[in-house]
Amino acid sequence: MALLDIRNLSIDITTAQGKVRVIDKASLTIVDGTIHGLVGESGSGKSIIAKAILGLHNPSWTVTADRMFLGTTDLSKLSSPDRRKIMGKEIAMIFQHPRSYLDPSRKILSQIKEVLPHSSVRSRFINIVKPKKEQSVMRRINELLHKVGIQNGRSVLDSYPYELSEGVCQKVMIAMAVANSPRLIIADEPTNAMEAVTQAQIFRLLYKLNQLHNTAILLLSNNFGSISDLSDYITLVYCGQTVESGSYKQVMESPMHPYTETMIKTILNFDESIDHKSQLYTLPGNIPSANQLPIGCRLGPRCPRAQRNCVKNPDVVNYKGHIIRCHFPTLDENKHANTSQRK
Amino acid sequence: MLINNEFNEDKIQSPLQYTWSIFKKKSAAIVSMWGVITLIFFALFADLIVAHEPSTQYAQNLLLPPYWMEGGSTDHILGTDDLGRDSLARLIQGLQLTLGGGILITFMISLIGSVIGASAVLTKGIKASILHHLLDALLTIPTLLTALILIVLFGPSYENCLLAVSLSLLPQFIRGIYIAIENELSKQYIIALQLDGATNSRLLRFGIFPNIIEPIVTLLNRIFTMAVLEIATLGFLGFGTQLPDVELGSLIASSIDLIYLSPWLVFFPGIAIFLIIIIFNVFAEGLRHSVIEGEE
Amino acid sequence: MLKYLFRRLNLLLITAFILTVIAFMLQHWSSSSIDNRNYFMLYGDYMANIFQGHWGISSIDQRPLLNKGLIAFASTLELCFVACITSIIMAFPLGILAGLKRNGVIDYAIMSIALVGLAIPVFWLAIIMTMLPNSIGISLPVDGNISLVFEVPVISGFVLIDSLLAADQYQMRAFSDRVAHLVLPAVVLSFFLTTEIIRLTRHAITMVMRSNYIKAAYAKGLATKQIVLRHVLKNALPPIIHQIRLQLSTIISFAMTIEIVFSSGGAGVWLLTSIQEGDYLALPTAVLIISSFILLSSIIIDIVLMIISPTKRKALYADQ
Repeated sequence: MALLDIRNLSIDITTAQGKVRVIDKASLTIVDGTIHGLVGESGSGKSIIAKAILGLHNPSWTVTADRMFLGTTDLSKLSSPDRRKIMGKEIAMIFQHPRSYLDPSRKILSQIKEVLPHSSVRSRFINIVKPKKEQSVMRRINELLHKVGIQNGRSVLDSYPYELSEGVCQKVMIAMAVANSPRLIIADEPTNAMEAVTQAQIFRLLYKLNQLHNTAILLLSNNFGSISDLSDYITLVYCGQTVESGSYKQVMESPMHPYTETMIKTILNFDESIDHKSQLYTLPGNIPSANQLPIGCRLGPRCPRAQRNCVKNPDVVNYKGHIIRCHFPTLDENKHANTSQRK
Repeated sequence: MLINNEFNEDKIQSPLQYTWSIFKKKSAAIVSMWGVITLIFFALFADLIVAHEPSTQYAQNLLLPPYWMEGGSTDHILGTDDLGRDSLARLIQGLQLTLGGGILITFMISLIGSVIGASAVLTKGIKASILHHLLDALLTIPTLLTALILIVLFGPSYENCLLAVSLSLLPQFIRGIYIAIENELSKQYIIALQLDGATNSRLLRFGIFPNIIEPIVTLLNRIFTMAVLEIATLGFLGFGTQLPDVELGSLIASSIDLIYLSPWLVFFPGIAIFLIIIIFNVFAEGLRHSVIEGEE
Repeated sequence: MLKYLFRRLNLLLITAFILTVIAFMLQHWSSSSIDNRNYFMLYGDYMANIFQGHWGISSIDQRPLLNKGLIAFASTLELCFVACITSIIMAFPLGILAGLKRNGVIDYAIMSIALVGLAIPVFWLAIIMTMLPNSIGISLPVDGNISLVFEVPVISGFVLIDSLLAADQYQMRAFSDRVAHLVLPAVVLSFFLTTEIIRLTRHAITMVMRSNYIKAAYAKGLATKQIVLRHVLKNALPPIIHQIRLQLSTIISFAMTIEIVFSSGGAGVWLLTSIQEGDYLALPTAVLIISSFILLSSIIIDIVLMIISPTKRKALYADQ
């Protein structure tokens, strides 16, 4: 069952040089209780999609979508306070650079308390009258910290964000995210600029949450290799266009879009023999900047299989849940050989 | 001629062009820019514009109201004062001295202050620390008091008034530019420049200066506003220009006794100061926003 | 924390030393006495006199300068204090509103008023204000500190308090007369201050609203009201207070100008008459009194900021 269903999400940002369409008809379907990897190079618009899902966008963005459903509620029709109410309960977000997302002037304890249900001002008065309730809140907080693997919980709770490391801050963020047991967690490059051990810890934590609580996770990353093993489904974004989307098996074993094929080739595979000092495979050229986007398929100028048709926007093709946007997809090995020969 | 703009997306505007292209789109900023130009034009060519000498006394026309009021004449558009001098001519002379003084002071302060501020950032140790404490001490003395002291020391005159105002505002500018440069200096790309072996002057010119334009605009705007207000205040207190020259503040002071008889003599110079500051502030604000947007 | 206090006090002493040197040079220049001893000895003498309270005698009415200066400055401070309180009450809500509704109609309206406040020359507004009671037909005094019929004894120097203390003599009449005298100057000063604080508040609020933790708070699903109360205000307040601290000397400058227009007996009028009468010794006295007030209050504000804002305390660690 689809938890989050987005069809043809387009986002225009107004800049001094005119409107720029940063997200062009992106579609995303997240199945309940799965880990969905959203992969794209930095600047491809992953974070923008995530922010649009949460409704955190600036007034200068115009967001249009044919369909934007969370479960059965239509997100695009909600007023922003209503939407935020749902966000708090159903969706939680984890960011990169977690420390800057924690209020610097308040201790961790009060920030975690804030996200717990029923932590309004009124209930604080009740807490003074009935200390029992306060105890249960503390027990819940300790439970949460234990869950995310923070050992010295008491001292962490009593600290300000600047006194903690990025890894601990990220764990605190995750604890806050899972506090309301949301149905979806959006993790925006949660391990960016962290050391390998912490990265592994964070990923293991997210995986555990997914397995134990059946929480769906939308995992954003620029590194295909690091999250591909974790994800049940994978969507690739290039320059604001979703190029290919499907289950792990579909995408990894029979990629159809030339961009995906390249991304898979870029994962270093130490099993195969690589010649000493041989060149690693990449696409020619660079990601175009946002104000100089090519028309039609944005991969066009860099695509090894590009033809005249590619200046038109390709239609979405769906092969049993494997969705691609390409004029010349690799349909099978045979066809692949053909197209390359034709070239 | 070969038209060769097929690849116009390759053309990348320079920061200055880009800022200007943003600035152009702000109507308030453009209006204020023309306002600034007009004001400076008035201040420069005051003698050519006005029909009357500011000091000529028309004895038959004392205390004329502005021409749109009853009893006014188009000969003296803004009326005359108690000695029969033309208000408009005196106003424009006042504008010349006040605005000119403000611009001059801002210019001088920005030159001297930048040199002192920049060298204070780049020198460490006892010299910088002495400058710091001196600035700290000077900043605790209210500018009006500093200006009064300096006027008492030098004697009241227009030039000394300008000097006093500049000296009383200089510490503020130095402190402002010091903070701006120091903020910039701690950033990574400056360290990279330093590791490249850039000399201090190169560091300031290419590394720091292009990135502190926004605080500099704010600071200069503030200094200019304060300078105009302070010149006017000192003139009002009688420590600025000496007769027969007038400046907007002393113009107000000279007509304060007539406030019930002919209030416009007090109104117009005040409105003139108000307009100067508003126009320059809107201009600076437009510039600042364009710079910020250009950086984003 | 103690270390910080110590360092701050150290800075205070150095700054105070420089100020006394400035005051000494002024004193030396204005007394124009010929003395052949070297400057160090003279400075020593001067400081000894300062500490013993012999700040010199006014050449106008032969009263001690320290006493005159303190009384005059107290009246200025009273004006500043009243204006500060009223403008904080008015400016904070407006500034917060402008900061939250940035680039909206309300924001433009509030910021236009703020720009007007910056551009109007204070003394001119004061002059216009002196015309106000006459032209709209209300009776408010436009000059002086308090009507001359009330002979309020000087106890604290603050006329408001003194007139309250003199209540057994005049009941509340002296006090209400003083309040009436304060209204117009306070309106002028607080007009300027309000616009200044609006601008500072708006800037601080927009800075905080842009930061990541506010985005995270929105993502947590908190209501705007909660976000403002819990996250924005606490982080925006320290920079606002810090900026007001830097404006202290401007506020006093403006208060002195306003007093001169309303000819109420504050530091402005005192200095002006002293200069006009050639009593230049008033200048070093004024420098010492006003600067030491500003110096002490800035340090107190710094310490308060250090206590209420954990991020400032972080800068403390980073310095070491």
